[in-house]
Amino acid sequence: MIHETKAELPLAGIRVIDVATVIAAPYCATVLGEFGAEVLKVEHPLGGDVLRRFGTPTQRQGDTLTWLSEARNKKSVTIDLHRPEGVDLFKKLIEKSDILCENFRPGTLEKWGLGWEVLHDINPGLIMLRVTGYGQYGPYKDRPGFARIAHAVGGIAYLAGMPKGRPVTPGSTTMGDYLTGLYGCIGVLMALRYRERTGCGQYVDAALYESVFRCTDELVPIYGMYGIVRERHGPNHNEFECPHGHFPTKDGKWVAIACATDKLFTRLAMAMERPELASSSTYGEQKTRLENCHDVNEIVRDWCGSLTREEVLERCYATGAPAGPLNNIADIFGNRQFHARRNLVAMDEEETGETIIVPSVIPRLSETPGQIRHLGPKLGEHTVEVLKDLLGIDDCQIDELRNKRVI
Amino acid sequence: MRCEGGIAPGFSRSRGQLVVEYATVCFRSQEDFGPIISFTSQKGVRSVTFMEQHPGDTSTKDDGHEGDGIYIGDQESSQEQDSPAETEKLPMSGVRVIDVGTFLAGPYAASILGEFGAEILKVEHPIAGDPMRRFGTPTKRHDATLAWLSEGRNRKSVTIDLRQKEGVELFLKLVAKSDVLVENFRPGTMEEWGLGWQVLSEANPGLVMLRVSGYGQTGPYRRRSGFAHIAHAFGGLSYLAGFPGETPVLPGTTPLGDYMSSLYGAIGIMLALRHREKTGRGQVIDIGTYEAVFRQLDEIAGAYGLFGKIREREGVGSFVAVPHGHFRTKDDKWIAIACTTDKMFERLSEAMERPELASSTLYGEQRKRLAARDLVNQIVIEWVGSLTREEVQRRCLDKEVPVGKVNSIADIFEDEHFRARGNLAHIEEEGLGEVVVPNVIPTLSETPARITNLGPPLGNATDEVMRELLGISVDEIRRLRQRKII
Repeated sequence: MIHETKAELPLAGIRVIDVATVIAAPYCATVLGEFGAEVLKVEHPLGGDVLRRFGTPTQRQGDTLTWLSEARNKKSVTIDLHRPEGVDLFKKLIEKSDILCENFRPGTLEKWGLGWEVLHDINPGLIMLRVTGYGQYGPYKDRPGFARIAHAVGGIAYLAGMPKGRPVTPGSTTMGDYLTGLYGCIGVLMALRYRERTGCGQYVDAALYESVFRCTDELVPIYGMYGIVRERHGPNHNEFECPHGHFPTKDGKWVAIACATDKLFTRLAMAMERPELASSSTYGEQKTRLENCHDVNEIVRDWCGSLTREEVLERCYATGAPAGPLNNIADIFGNRQFHARRNLVAMDEEETGETIIVPSVIPRLSETPGQIRHLGPKLGEHTVEVLKDLLGIDDCQIDELRNKRVI
Repeated sequence: MRCEGGIAPGFSRSRGQLVVEYATVCFRSQEDFGPIISFTSQKGVRSVTFMEQHPGDTSTKDDGHEGDGIYIGDQESSQEQDSPAETEKLPMSGVRVIDVGTFLAGPYAASILGEFGAEILKVEHPIAGDPMRRFGTPTKRHDATLAWLSEGRNRKSVTIDLRQKEGVELFLKLVAKSDVLVENFRPGTMEEWGLGWQVLSEANPGLVMLRVSGYGQTGPYRRRSGFAHIAHAFGGLSYLAGFPGETPVLPGTTPLGDYMSSLYGAIGIMLALRHREKTGRGQVIDIGTYEAVFRQLDEIAGAYGLFGKIREREGVGSFVAVPHGHFRTKDDKWIAIACTTDKMFERLSEAMERPELASSTLYGEQRKRLAARDLVNQIVIEWVGSLTREEVQRRCLDKEVPVGKVNSIADIFEDEHFRARGNLAHIEEEGLGEVVVPNVIPTLSETPARITNLGPPLGNATDEVMRELLGISVDEIRRLRQRKII
């Protein structure tokens, strides 16, 4: 147990079925699990969630690091939903649960006889998170979708890269999955709150591309009003503020500097020991800096290039200028702030002796902090427990289901 | 029990500031699923937009232009009071949120709560207001950029100077009557004003407080100023964007980390409200923007911890799969293709009319494709480069290959799916004409959220809140205003 529990967690007593795959909808279940919900990961008996094979394998039956981290706190229950017996078992689970997370292509659950109508009849209070590439309706609803595609369709990939160069991956290929998991989680918590007042369940329809698209500040209204199409900005984005970008340092590293306000630029000018740059006759005003952003960037680049990363940052921190290192993961492991905030958690895998380091729970709640109780489970680790204890199925029946490969 | 929910078009009146109508449709089945979102300013119905036809309906798409959608009626002369029926139906109705933050990190959490029915009071400095009002592209309204109009949505603006003692007293009165407080000052600032957690918690033991800052409330860097741009760098995301060995570029949009930390913030608030309902006790949610960024980097920490592997910039690709990237088409546009699994690559080979590529002796297995990354990518680059974007997309979709246009915002405005999903909300704003903003997500079937108004004028609800909520007399309000406390 990572955090000492002070009080009962906010989602204690809530049961979540996560029948989804990879990261998007499952990450919603992960967050719910960190804050006390019981999460039953329902997987296909052969192979299970494809996330188990996505990324770098560990010695534990080849389960990948992403699986171990993101399936934290979940119980694995194998059920084959392609089989009528599997569908029956699943319905029994639905009856005893509060939330269902799924991300099949629209129509798949319906094909198995597990559409919203059916599930809602079985459990009128059920809350269902449905995540797909394009949502449950609209002309593209049947298209396959992954975060990579969502970044492209949602407008973020277009913005990442050197001007006129190839659009690059906006940092991480899984970002849209996480964002959608978070929006899904907000939807589920809203629905839970509404259910407590009315008893009514509902479903949340989340699309990967929508989550990405929602995080684009002025992109939409500026095109709507002025017809301006934002292009790729490389390392410097000087549409709203200057300087705002990445600058190389003498030791071949990079720093990020952003001056959203004139006050912050004044502090940067002080850090550079050139306070005159912030006077009203030079570059004291954002407007002037934006008009002369090439020159301003040049001054900042020259200064950064004359010092090591540590020196640039020390001088910026001393005057309160907003700057930070472009950390790689090695930098992060050595960083005092990450340590002080306990952002990294090491968990030992008993069987293989591997130490798995994962990001700890956020957000941080003062009274009811979330927990990592265990990492991603082995395939089917909890099938028997759940079938016996929760559904009251006896050993004989369980054997039979297993022989028929339903579980 | 069945939950029947269909609601007729309803009206919501935001304290006389802006009349907004919205129609919500309760959909009990996929067939029913069709949100209708319409907005009208106080000058009457101007645009009613986005009507999605039923999935089985093959009629032409509604493009959302005026007159094509559902006309709900002119509300210009409407004198009715707040019609609580609609708002009450929303999950956050009856919850009052004070947003004393600036820019986006934290305030966007308040926006989400507002979209789902909470009342949001934006507390701002009487003269300067939220700097977000001046951040971004100016409009004809002197106190509002486009960024403010969009992300200041669903708020009432209340001016209070927290640097004055009387302002602090007013603020505490407001806190006593509220449920949630959102702030993002540098840690220690609210304490300097005498508004630390202890004081606030005494004023309101059930208070839920979201504190977002660059580095969080604890740790050696807590006092450093932080913006999303710095958080992307510090949290490890910026290092990954760009070509290997070349300049690291911005990871998409500038305030991405602000949105991310706000999403975590909204989740934290919802959880804390739940705890409060059980125990009566409030609590603090503490988020460093860099943490929200770092949390989303899948296995980066695990791979370094176990194997010492430092992930580097990946250009247009990904370390887990090939082909998985952006490709230039004959008409000089870009398209994304993602073959996450072998099955997907098999389909792509068929789309390329080269099924032999997916054989086990060639590139049928991800392992082999990763080993021959450049060769495989080159094949795709050449194929994509020989066709127009429309043609590549059509052939990929025919074979169910995951594919998508790398959309610019101009592409997005033209896109039929964005239109069908109502992702662009066209809102008439007085004096500005139509402002287009991203619509609310996620979509809830029974309690869809709404946009009641865009970023409000500075102090538009100060009088109302002082008088009606805090019971302050007109004379006293005048005095407070003269002394620039409000």
